[in-house]
Amino acid sequence: MGSLHGGKKLARKVAVVAGGHSKFGKRYDATMRELCAEAYKPIYDEGLTQDKIDASVLSYAASQFTGQGAGSALIADYLGIHDKPHLRVESACTTGTASLRAAWGMVSAGLYDVMLVLGVEQMNRVSSATATEYMSQAGDMRWEYPFGISFPAFYALMASRYMSEYNMEHDILAKIAVKSHHYGAQNPKAHLPKEVSFEEANNAVPICRPLNLYDCSLITDGAAAVVIAAEDRVKEFTDRPMWITGIGAGASEMMIQDRPSLTSIPGAKRAGQAAYKMAGIGPEDINMAQVHDCFTIAELIAYEDLGFAEPGKGPELVENKENYHDGRIPVNCDGGLKSKGHPLGATGVSMTYEVLKQMRGEAENSSRQIKDVERGLVHNVGQSGQFVNVFIYERGW
Amino acid sequence: MAEQKEVYLGYSTDKAITPFFQKFLEALDEGKIMKSKCTKCGAEYLPPRQHCQKDMSDCELTEFTEREAKLYSYVIVDFAPASLSSKQPYIVAIGEFPSGLRLTAHITNPMGPPTVGMPLKLAFETQDKMATYKWLV
Repeated sequence: MGSLHGGKKLARKVAVVAGGHSKFGKRYDATMRELCAEAYKPIYDEGLTQDKIDASVLSYAASQFTGQGAGSALIADYLGIHDKPHLRVESACTTGTASLRAAWGMVSAGLYDVMLVLGVEQMNRVSSATATEYMSQAGDMRWEYPFGISFPAFYALMASRYMSEYNMEHDILAKIAVKSHHYGAQNPKAHLPKEVSFEEANNAVPICRPLNLYDCSLITDGAAAVVIAAEDRVKEFTDRPMWITGIGAGASEMMIQDRPSLTSIPGAKRAGQAAYKMAGIGPEDINMAQVHDCFTIAELIAYEDLGFAEPGKGPELVENKENYHDGRIPVNCDGGLKSKGHPLGATGVSMTYEVLKQMRGEAENSSRQIKDVERGLVHNVGQSGQFVNVFIYERGW
Repeated sequence: MAEQKEVYLGYSTDKAITPFFQKFLEALDEGKIMKSKCTKCGAEYLPPRQHCQKDMSDCELTEFTEREAKLYSYVIVDFAPASLSSKQPYIVAIGEFPSGLRLTAHITNPMGPPTVGMPLKLAFETQDKMATYKWLV
């Protein structure tokens, strides 16, 4: 038997060659389709017109928010790529990086050369209580949902346990929120671009104690998109490609009570280790990270799961401000899910877009630009850790 | 087909009550809680599963008799999903029994803020034809 796929070898190198991002926020001026166009437009303007795209993965996490079924068909049609193959994948808040993982597999294997990966969510057409309801349905519907365990409640269960095991006070979490808002205030795409004082963040109205308002990410409308291309096609589109050098995925128990520990997300550790192994590097080689801070406690746990801090030592990293743009391991210098916002299906793609932007030195504001990014990491978690994707990127110029 | 009583676990919208789950609910209505045990390998599950996670064999329901647990973790839900808005704030706790099995339920008689490690007691109630289990402190 000859080589597969028209002579193209398997496992081709793949790079991110372009990215686009809508404004995040309460976007009553747009629906899902317009948000997608807003994310694709900058990519189109860079010359990646519809005819250059072989296929796409167009995803959102939850159809309940809009009631739209078969949404990838709607998006493809609106973007003018309805004559090319497309699909939607779903894995809660990792929908964006799951889409990227699916597309990477297809390009790497030689099925397509150039793919558009787009994530979107429109969450604000329903009330906050209803959005909270929909997200709580990602818990076990028989054994967890009846007790009203909302999305923040799952993470509050982790926070209570972490605070008890490591004798940590809430002020560490508040410091993470202050950092996120500091950078979100400098990001014109952010949903809530405002500085927050430590006192505000530490004493805000409770949502799911021990977590308060400023510990929680936002219910956001938005879209983000990237285009990936196979190694032999990359030069057609950019001289500044961002290579995908490590991909790790992990998963954890469905019910949170069944986790061996609540101070770590087992699937995230596995995903991180797999990504580092594939890239042939370790956490000390990473220049910046976009981590899934759906809640401040999630960011703290991510430091430890990804090896930026030893177990229980995340608070020291926070106290020393090592997570700032000029620190040892800059984290979420775009505001993160906390301040930039968390449109579920868009989040993982937005994180990828931010690494590309930082690597290219194109942060809108020099006070959030990280210097000389050679390697960046994306850590995207779904639900309370049932899904995790970690990507490692390397600068290609 | 077994007659389906109007007993549901708490506030579940899961109306797809199987014969296996129905037995769990009927026991709950009588103030008992059932775990399940794999008929092949003996693995135990709380809450119960009809199929063993390890070998997919059938599990059988057996009564779970432990009542005293320690609080493993908790949350005070101040802002609830829409379906439970009328109950907020409420406390959800994971309790761990001496056997190592855990269960998630509300603490319905809090005397103050919960603390990790505090003793919990498993109890039962049926309200408006809905049976559930709960923690007492």
